[in-house]
Formats: sequence, C-alpha cells, structure tokens
Amino acid sequence: MSLTKMSMIVVIKKQYAFKLQAYSQVFLSLIFLQMIAVLFSLGGVASMGSSDGMVEVQLSYYSADMVLVFTMLWGIISAVLITTKAYRNDDYLFITNRLTSNLSNLLFLLTASFIGGITAILSSYLLKIVVNLFVSEYFFSNPNGWPGALETLLGIFSAFLYIFLFCMLGYLAGTLVQFHKSLTALLPAAILGVLFLDVADGKAGVFADIFTFYHSESSVFLFFLKIMATAGLLFLASAGLSNRLEVRS
Amino acid sequence: MNAIECKGLTKMFGRVKALDQLSCTIEENKLTGLIGRNGAGKTTLLKIIAGYLRETSGEINVFSQPPFNNLTVSANVIFVHDQMNLPTALTLEEILAAAGSFYPNWNHGLATRLFDYFSFQPLQYYHGLSKGMKSTFNMILGLSARCPLTLFDEPTTGMDTAVRKDFYRALLKDYMDHPRTILLSSHYLDEIEDLLEEILVLKEGKQLLHTTIDELQEWAAAVQGKAAFVQEWSKNKQIIFSEKVGMDQMYTVVKNDFSDKERQLAREAGIDLLPVSTSDLCVYLTSSSIGGIDDVFDKNVDDSGD
Repeated sequence: MSLTKMSMIVVIKKQYAFKLQAYSQVFLSLIFLQMIAVLFSLGGVASMGSSDGMVEVQLSYYSADMVLVFTMLWGIISAVLITTKAYRNDDYLFITNRLTSNLSNLLFLLTASFIGGITAILSSYLLKIVVNLFVSEYFFSNPNGWPGALETLLGIFSAFLYIFLFCMLGYLAGTLVQFHKSLTALLPAAILGVLFLDVADGKAGVFADIFTFYHSESSVFLFFLKIMATAGLLFLASAGLSNRLEVRS
Repeated sequence: MNAIECKGLTKMFGRVKALDQLSCTIEENKLTGLIGRNGAGKTTLLKIIAGYLRETSGEINVFSQPPFNNLTVSANVIFVHDQMNLPTALTLEEILAAAGSFYPNWNHGLATRLFDYFSFQPLQYYHGLSKGMKSTFNMILGLSARCPLTLFDEPTTGMDTAVRKDFYRALLKDYMDHPRTILLSSHYLDEIEDLLEEILVLKEGKQLLHTTIDELQEWAAAVQGKAAFVQEWSKNKQIIFSEKVGMDQMYTVVKNDFSDKERQLAREAGIDLLPVSTSDLCVYLTSSSIGGIDDVFDKNVDDSGD
C-alpha cells in the first residue's frame, strides 16, 4: 500500500470542520449562559426612585454588560475545555500532529469568539424588547437613540476581541494544567493571590493596570493591535509548550 | 522495505522501564502478532509507533521517519485500542463520516456494510455502547481506514466469541484484498495464530523472539516421562518449562534442537516427545519462572514447616 502525504493546510481544514461539529456542546453552553445572563440583567443594573405626595417615580437602568461578562467567562471555560484530555485526544483518533491540532483549535476559538461576540451584542436588543414588553411601563432607550449599524458592528468587533483574548488566556491555562495536575489548584490560587494582594495594598494594582492598558485605548486600530499581539503571544506560548506533550489516556 | 525499525528503544515512565533497549524490525505488508504478558510493553511500543509517546532513548523509524509529532506517519497509521474516546457529540454515523473525511484510503462501503452487519444504529452514541460493541465499532474504524500501517491493541476486549470469530475473518479477508502492515496484540494467541504470518514476543520490555508462526510451531517440544529419566535426558538442554505430573512423572518443554540419536535414546527410556501449542509455548516463554504458578504454592508449603 503506497504512503499518502498530506499537507498541513489540508489537515488543519479537516480538523477545523471536524471540531465545529464535534465541539458543538460549546455553543449549546453559550446559548444557555447568555440566556441566564439576560435573565439576571432583567433586574437592572441601577435604580432610583422618588415620590412626591401623589407621584411616585421609579427609574431603573438596564444593561447587557453582564451578557458580555458571562460570554468572556464562557470563552475561558470553553478554551480550557478543549485542552482537556477528552478533547485533545480526539484529534489523535485521526490525522494530526501537535501543531495542526493547536492551529485548528485556534481557528475554532476564533470562530467561537466571533459567534459569542455577535450574540452578546445582539442580546442587548433582546433585553430592550423584553424590558419594554414585560417589565417596564415606560421605556426609554439610550438617550442618543438606538445605536446605528456602525456602532453595532464596532461593538461586535470589540466584544469579539475581548472574548478572544479571554479564550487565549484559558487556552494557555488549560495547556499548563496538562503538564502537571497540581497546576489545577496552583494557577487559580496564584491569580486570586495577586488579586487579594492588590486589594490589600489599597492601590490600583497589577490587574487594574492591565485592565487600563486595554480598556482605555481609544483608537480601535491600536486596541485591535494590543489584543491581537497579546493573544498571539499567549497562543505561541501554548503551542510551544504543548508541542512535546505526550498523549496519555 | 521495513515498515518499522527500532534500535535500542527505551521508554521510562518515572523509574519504571516499559521498554528496555528494544530492537526489532517489522517488514512491510506482513500481519504480525505482538505477544507478551501484561506489562511486557506491548501497548507502550504501539503508542510510540503511533506517535503518541516519545521514546526516552534509542531510535525508532516508521516508514523511515521518527513517528513522534509527525504528520506523514499520522496520515498513514491508525491505532485502534480499547481506551479510544470518540467525540461524545457525534453519532456513530457522523463519526464514520468524520473518519472518512480524514483518511484518503477510507472505504465507506465496507464501513457501512460492517456497521449494518453488526447491527449498529446510525443515531446511537459511542458512549452508550457496551464494551464489546465499542471494540466492534473501533474495529470497523480500523479496517475501513485501510491505512498502510494498522495497529490493533487488544482489539477483541469484551467481544463475545461469535464477534471475535467474525472479526478475525473480516481482518483476514480485508488484509488479503488490500495487503498492508498490520500489528495485532492479543492475549488469545490460539485464536489468532492462524491469521498471523509473524510473531513478535516481548518480555519485560525486550524482544524475546521474532519469528514466523511456522517456525514457532517447531521451535520447542515437550518431553514427558519418569522424572528421573526426563531430568537426566534434558540435562544439557535449554529448559523452558518444567512441572511435575502425578507422582513421579515430569513434563518438560525444551528447545527443539535434538538429534536423531537423542530421539532414539528418548524412545528407549520410555520418554514421550510431544508437540507444544504456540500459545502454551508463549506462556512458558514469557513466564518469569520455570515452574509456573505451582512453584508459588509448593514453596508456601515448605515455608510453613509444621
């Protein structure tokens, strides 16, 4: 029987198509999480009320920010999930090496972040409609009116970038855990530890600096560059680390 | 050309040596049986060939390339084992389709015919199958992929006798139609010896024997008779196994290299020369002691004294 040669691009395409199908649970959990987030958001993010004899005014603010936060968490969790043995070993059923496996995971996470970004931003419309129909007596949208198409697209784009960044963080964390089980406990402990230290100092610490670095960037292009550079570094670290990893079941 | 070549191959898990300076070659387009006790290193060897594990030292080439992290080797090898976990989100039908999209030689007609023959339902999920059904499904994947190198690690785990027989027959038929290199590890040598052309016996991570199945059948012989005579007769022989039978009889397996004169002497001393089945021989060869499990209990009696 003659040997077959396969180019890396062909294998990555096949793996990507396979993963979209085989990892469909990831998208189910996205729908579920975003529905919960919309439900929580119905409570409003802030409210105030005043009354003056006969008149009582109750004002509530609603925001779909929580949906985005949930989607970011989903990004981390999904990325960790696909680095676990059950998913990682799926690749080895068929044709793969470590690099194609990582690259097809990257494509999958890009797709997942993109879909997550779209649904997260669009969920704000769902929230508006639900509040309008069932919760509030009078409904005022954004004082500037409904956002235009460009703003929505920009929202989707930046949501996608944030979610992708979190995916890559999760991917690196998941890859590290593959090296030694103890990291499952050490990694979260280290992150929480740094958080607590920051709080104990009473000053804006490491996390606040990191947050500002991305969040207060006003240029869309620079924001894109910052996120992509960080995500790229995180991915390279994961791919480099896992390139010598053995398949154990 | 050789499909697999290894030289001084060693694999350590922590301090345990799973493979110890193993050197062997597997020729292309041969059906080879991989035989050994539990823990002899069969699975480790197969995993290294499949590129799952990296050798600690030594050299291994599969189709003249080191297999670890190698896309070409991966494209030409399918490794079927009993710990395969297939994607839980896909139905059996979808898994077959996915396998078909990857392997260029995949024969979907064969896969669906086997699938129907073993009465699988297209919409079943893999994790809902019984142990034997899982093995059967793995076997369908392994055969239909028609990879130039097909590795089966304990493929019959959990299968009932009827399915095992069907599997051996399917394997043989497909192998004859599409010759390829097949490595088959199994505990049931008596069931598979008719299929095999060659046999590779591992013991404690080393190659003990690599020969054709025909040669193995002639490789050793048993002598049975009065203990004193048998002991005297087999004094200068390589004893593989020996046990007492009844009061004064002895059954000893020795390497089959005796001359006509020795046969003559045996006959005169009232010693029977018997053939040894290959599966028994492999048990004796891979055993760590010459007397077998009986030794453990005999010594136990001696120890207790009173």
